[in-house]
Amino acid sequence: MAIADVDDMYFHYPRASLGAGDEGWTLCDISLAVHAGTTLGIVGESGSGKSTLIRVMCGLLHHQRGTVRFDGRDVGDFRGEDSKELRRKNQIVFQNPRRSLDPRMTIRRSLSEPMRALQGRRPDDDELIVSLEKVGLGREVLPRFPHQLSGGQLQRVGIARSLSVDPTILYADEPVSSLDVSVQAQVLNLLMDLRDELGLTLVMVSHDLGVVSRMCEEIIVMRNGRIVEAGRTDVVLTRPESSYTAALLVAARAASL
Amino acid sequence: MPDTPIPTITADTIDDDTAIPAPPASVWRRIARVPITLYLGGALVSSFVFVALLSFVWTPYPPNHLNMSNRLEPPGTPGFLLGTDRAGRDVITELMLGARNSLYVSVVSTVVAMIIGTSIGLAIAGSNRYFQGPLTRLVDTGLALPGILTALVLAAKLGPGNTTATLAIIAWQIPVAARVTIGPARQVLALDFVEAAYGYGRRRSYILVRHVLRNISPLLIVLGSVMFAAAILIEAALAFLGVGVQPPTSSWGRFLSETQSLLEAAPFLMFFPGLAIVFTVLGFNLLGDGLRTVLDPQQARTGSS
Amino acid sequence: MLEIRDLRVHIDGHEIIHIDELDLPAGTRLGLVGESGSGKTMTATAIAGLLPNEAKASGTVRFDGQDLLELNDAEFSKIRGKRIGFVFQDPARALNPMMRIGRQVSESIRLHTNLKRRAVNDKVLELLDQVQLPDPAALVRRYPHQLSGGQQQRVLIAAAIATDPELLIADEPTTALDVTVQEEILQLLISLSEQRNMSVLFVSHDLGVIRFVCDRVAVIYGGHVVETGCVEHVVSDPRHRYTAALLAANPGMPKDDDFASFMGQRLHTIPGHVPAVGKFPGGCRFRNRCEHASASCAEAPMPVTLGDGHRYSCWHPDGES
Repeated sequence: MAIADVDDMYFHYPRASLGAGDEGWTLCDISLAVHAGTTLGIVGESGSGKSTLIRVMCGLLHHQRGTVRFDGRDVGDFRGEDSKELRRKNQIVFQNPRRSLDPRMTIRRSLSEPMRALQGRRPDDDELIVSLEKVGLGREVLPRFPHQLSGGQLQRVGIARSLSVDPTILYADEPVSSLDVSVQAQVLNLLMDLRDELGLTLVMVSHDLGVVSRMCEEIIVMRNGRIVEAGRTDVVLTRPESSYTAALLVAARAASL
Repeated sequence: MPDTPIPTITADTIDDDTAIPAPPASVWRRIARVPITLYLGGALVSSFVFVALLSFVWTPYPPNHLNMSNRLEPPGTPGFLLGTDRAGRDVITELMLGARNSLYVSVVSTVVAMIIGTSIGLAIAGSNRYFQGPLTRLVDTGLALPGILTALVLAAKLGPGNTTATLAIIAWQIPVAARVTIGPARQVLALDFVEAAYGYGRRRSYILVRHVLRNISPLLIVLGSVMFAAAILIEAALAFLGVGVQPPTSSWGRFLSETQSLLEAAPFLMFFPGLAIVFTVLGFNLLGDGLRTVLDPQQARTGSS
Repeated sequence: MLEIRDLRVHIDGHEIIHIDELDLPAGTRLGLVGESGSGKTMTATAIAGLLPNEAKASGTVRFDGQDLLELNDAEFSKIRGKRIGFVFQDPARALNPMMRIGRQVSESIRLHTNLKRRAVNDKVLELLDQVQLPDPAALVRRYPHQLSGGQQQRVLIAAAIATDPELLIADEPTTALDVTVQEEILQLLISLSEQRNMSVLFVSHDLGVIRFVCDRVAVIYGGHVVETGCVEHVVSDPRHRYTAALLAANPGMPKDDDFASFMGQRLHTIPGHVPAVGKFPGGCRFRNRCEHASASCAEAPMPVTLGDGHRYSCWHPDGES
């Protein structure tokens, strides 16, 4: 059963100048489905639109053509109180942890923001500590500010923040790209553990085919705003149908271990 | 929300996993970390405020106590520590009385102009992209309007005085505050944590106040100091033009402008209101600088600005 | 061609870099690999003579027989840019957005040679062609923002090799680039190095990239070279525990028949975190995070040399029977 699906979706940024054909559109002719409990990887290079795609899927950006549905309902239908439910069930973890937390908010406050905004309640420290423990952090980070934590710790805080409201789908936009290799490994392991424990549906955007191979059963390859290829990861990456995917693979294999 | 395509790979330095220890909790350590500018600035500003308030209950001589036989006495004359002005008024008394008006006009106009101007700036920064351009140009038009003209018009309508001067300065300064706020506010709005806030359901108005305003506050504090300095000087200019306070009410600006014609006869006179202005402006600047450092969670750690 | 002996860099009384011995023969490519806080960039900076004022360097860095650390700023400027070229991480930031491409590439030529304008322009066109940029004549009049990331980096490489340097120092030159572009740029660096017999010091956190480009590698942790050797040897037979840990933490790419076991497999992580400057333990810098550490690690390990210049400093190395 598809938790989220997209049909013939087109999207352009507000002031894009549209030309003939698909010129100016950031996303063209996107159709895909995300199944409950799976991990989907979205790969592509810069300008492929992958980061834009997940934002449209979770409702942060509004598409101009086609349909985007969450749990069977069109995302545009979630109004009023329902829109909070949509937000709650679709959370994003961002790439650069130093930039995705307000430098002037304590960790305690940053962690409680989603609950305050979407559930109208203020969690007490005990509840926050439980969230922190899930991501391998301790209570001592609560009163601190972002600049006092390392990149790896901040990314864990970001993950804890997203998970604090029990989302159905967790979108991760290059969650480990700005981290060192060893820290990257820790965060990836964490995501795998959380996914298994919580039965989370995970949609991960990455430019790193190695990371996607490890984490995602399904994969979508994007280029210039279009989906070039999609399917099971082991199939697409061993027998790619598109020459672009093949080229990506060659380049990725060349510079990897 | 992002307005332009999001870059996929950023060239940010790959982040390390080095943890930084928490700052010391002891009270004395934290007092020691307060920068000296805060103390100095605070001291200067409080002394001037104190003097201004004191003038309500006591001055060396009664207000406007003319003493025609002691006109233009130099400093050090017995009974007149800093001398007297053209009408024999004691300089110290004049300064104290002047403090009231100058501080009142400058502080009130700066605070009001900043509140209104910053709100306008934030609103524009957060508004729809289509409107931002034209609205910013509107603000620029306000900047371009000569403030003196506004002041003269106001004076014609309301008559000269403190209120006129205050209103004129406010009108003058609102576009400044607005214009300076727009750029940095837009920059903050483009940051990831703002997008994250939208992601967990926060509305634009909340984001503008809770996230944007706080993150541009260092800038606003500096802006406030600069605007305050400008306000004092504008007040002086208006007094000189006869638009501000009128005799017998005292103001530093008025005092300063009077000393201009007396340069030959009593060159020492201009120093006193001049220095008063300089030190007050300096005090607010230092205070602003200190506040900015103290309020920054990152600075508080090292105690240096 | 580049010989480093006992290079030490001190900041605020802390010794942050200590490199006993490191060699870069002419025409070869050496990779300096490490994570953030490892000191790899600072080592490159020290070689380039671009250390910040607070940093004090000692030891010898012999470049073609001449000790670079003994030169003063003026003398070094003659070498830097002329015989040593640099390529940095973010091409968009390294290029002046207000200057046309042609002008930027020609800067070092004009600075270090006496060529007349016509000759300089010809040289620029020739360089842009060598870095495989299309239509150089049109390109010289463009501004950086009109080029893609890969093109910008090629321009920077062109500028770096303009004076035919003997050594090229590249610090994470492809980190900000797409993977297909990365492959092209790395190939370009390899061919330039081979054609011109130019040595390359390649600094990166990515072992995979280093293996692709470099002949030899030096693994840096806490400002020390923990292992060095031929890249294939170090990657296939790592000895120092940190090298082994780095390799294990790397997600890598599965082989075609490997996908099933690859998926969902947890990565090996390194416990703890990189200590702040000055907080490294004495003896082996890695011992607080090493699963195989023992009491003897409190004493700095002696370097062990295997065949073919493969050298490591570890009391409990990996791979020993």
